[in-house]
Amino acid sequence: MGTARTTGYHPGLVDLASGQISREIFVNDEIYAEEQERIFARAWLFVGHASQIPNPGDYVMSGMGEEAVILCRDRAGAVHVFLNSCRHRGMKVCRYDEGNTSVFTCPYHGWSYGTDGRLVGVPYFREAYHSKLDRSRWGLVEVAQMCNYKGAIFATWDAQAPSFPEYLGDFTRYLDLQLDGWDGREGQAELLCGVQKWLVPCNWKFPAENFSGDTYHNISHRSVDLAGIGPSGSSRRDLGERNVSRKLHVCIPDRGHQTILYVMPQGRETPVAYQNAPIVSEYFAHCEAEKRRLLGEGARLIGAPGEIFPNTALLSRQPRTMAVWHPRGPNQTECWRYYFVDKDAPHEVKEFLRDYYIRYSGPAGMTEQDDMENWNYAHAASRGTIARRHPYTYEQGIGTAVRDYEFEGMRVPGDVIDITEIQSSEQPMRNLYRRWAQFMEADDWEQLATWRHNERAAAAE
Amino acid sequence: MSDRDDRISRLLLAQDVAEFLYGEAELLDERRHDEWLALLADDIRYWMPMRRNVKFGEGEREFTRSVTDINWFDEGKDTLARRVKQIQTGIHWAEEPQSRIAHLVTNVQIIEASPSVADAREVSVKCRFLIYRNRVATETDLLVGKREDLLRRENGDWRIARRKIILDQNVLLSKNLTFFF
Amino acid sequence: MSDPINIRTLAPGTRIALADGAVAEIVSNPADGVWLFARYLESPRDPALVGQEEMIFAGDVVEVRQAP
Repeated sequence: MGTARTTGYHPGLVDLASGQISREIFVNDEIYAEEQERIFARAWLFVGHASQIPNPGDYVMSGMGEEAVILCRDRAGAVHVFLNSCRHRGMKVCRYDEGNTSVFTCPYHGWSYGTDGRLVGVPYFREAYHSKLDRSRWGLVEVAQMCNYKGAIFATWDAQAPSFPEYLGDFTRYLDLQLDGWDGREGQAELLCGVQKWLVPCNWKFPAENFSGDTYHNISHRSVDLAGIGPSGSSRRDLGERNVSRKLHVCIPDRGHQTILYVMPQGRETPVAYQNAPIVSEYFAHCEAEKRRLLGEGARLIGAPGEIFPNTALLSRQPRTMAVWHPRGPNQTECWRYYFVDKDAPHEVKEFLRDYYIRYSGPAGMTEQDDMENWNYAHAASRGTIARRHPYTYEQGIGTAVRDYEFEGMRVPGDVIDITEIQSSEQPMRNLYRRWAQFMEADDWEQLATWRHNERAAAAE
Repeated sequence: MSDRDDRISRLLLAQDVAEFLYGEAELLDERRHDEWLALLADDIRYWMPMRRNVKFGEGEREFTRSVTDINWFDEGKDTLARRVKQIQTGIHWAEEPQSRIAHLVTNVQIIEASPSVADAREVSVKCRFLIYRNRVATETDLLVGKREDLLRRENGDWRIARRKIILDQNVLLSKNLTFFF
Repeated sequence: MSDPINIRTLAPGTRIALADGAVAEIVSNPADGVWLFARYLESPRDPALVGQEEMIFAGDVVEVRQAP
């Protein structure tokens, strides 16, 4: 190591045939620097939710990779994502976490920008610049593309990147599970107020691969299962529906997105949950019935942890959260966790869920606490010269994924492994790192949009 | 009551309350969690809001709200008891091996006593805390902030009926919060 | 040199005198302490500015006159 590389990621560092991945990709400074260029400057990243900025002039701080960004709604109502850095000398033009404003004014030399990003105020423009500065060229840096998908705001710095729906591909339905109402109505989820932000001393890929669908680490959560924080008042963390479903690892191979997915049997109703809280139980029973009416067979899909490449985590069931793993150097990650409820849910339901969310997730969450301990010391113990010589193994289920998986009439696209009986596979991690290696080696989106090559080849036949 | 009697009553109450808070810290630092739980009223609200950077004059938006918003903690005794139970499993890896923790409690101020200072059944008390956590080998956290407690007399003993924890951080600088404030 | 003025809390309608001798009336205040939106009432240097709305830099505000 020692020099930045643009080749040799696959199969060198990421050997999918043997399922071995070098520790270097987690701990190496040069690889980390290269990731900023090749992944975070090109991929679609989650920035926030429209419910954070309902009114003209509303803004909220966010981040994209290492960059500080402002998510805001301009005076005309349009949503923007700007680099939070003055064009003149780089100072942050906003250091509040949220608010409402007509301008973003840099405290250093006083340059001021409208909520549409235009440079509107330059001190001594007439005197010092002799009225010659072309202000139209010096607005805030804006992302190349932004997408408001059912309220979730995603953005990319790369003008050549495919549209966000194309970037998602067959993964769209799993993001839908996150953002639609529990009753299946479109885009009915809203954020609870307050985004948890905390630092963990590990590489960002530790949480990314964990949320890709690590079902193997359940043992690390045994203590919380013993203490009992289940949403139904039971000791288990999960819901009864999981006991009657098929449990799958679903990977979208050319996109790098993957998730755990539960598929209910045909014609079976979701078991009643939250029996110890009648209003909540009734609400969810009502929603489940509505969903079956609205979506039919589609209501059989039940979400679970998943990951949109590279660093956006989903959890569409309970606790219903999204997270972003912001890279902060190879050895540190700033975790941001967002919590969702149905917009129209009764306040009793929102409060019940909120209680459950914060005792489960985040730095004080009785489940997530143990994850952070593992990521911290797994990372620390992988940094040494000797440790780096020994790759991690991701062998579980190599060669066993099926295309066009089907269960009682429900077709699930992608590479799928049914883990109901076998408990675990590492297909999701292999899918993540395959895509990671592609990003690290590909020169442009022409190479990265592999599905277009396949479609062109199919059309030519 | 003379002015001197009044001052003596205040002094006695302040001393009584401070001793209670120091004793509580002692239980936590000695990992006597069951005894600590016994100091909590059954209806305790244990709340630690998150803090935002907001504009001067918009201070009411600095803290996330109890009950409706996401907080670091916002819970009652049942959840606190489960946290203790989790630590006591001996397999809660975030606290196994257990952290070395010291609570420094200072600036204890009685804000209000009812019905009276001389016969206080409920006391609002503020203090500062500095919590030092060191675990495994070199991992160290320092958490500094304020506490606003409501203490209540139950059968002659103080019980903590409400605790608001104001941590002086924005992005949490610790990877997790596996300990009590 | 006049004493510095904190423009952050000046209300719309307030009249301000500027370094170049102009007088303007505040239309809105973004409360950033750096800029004001104001309409020119007098402008000896550039009479064409009178009636125009401009962003005024805090460093140019030399005097606060209360609204008439």
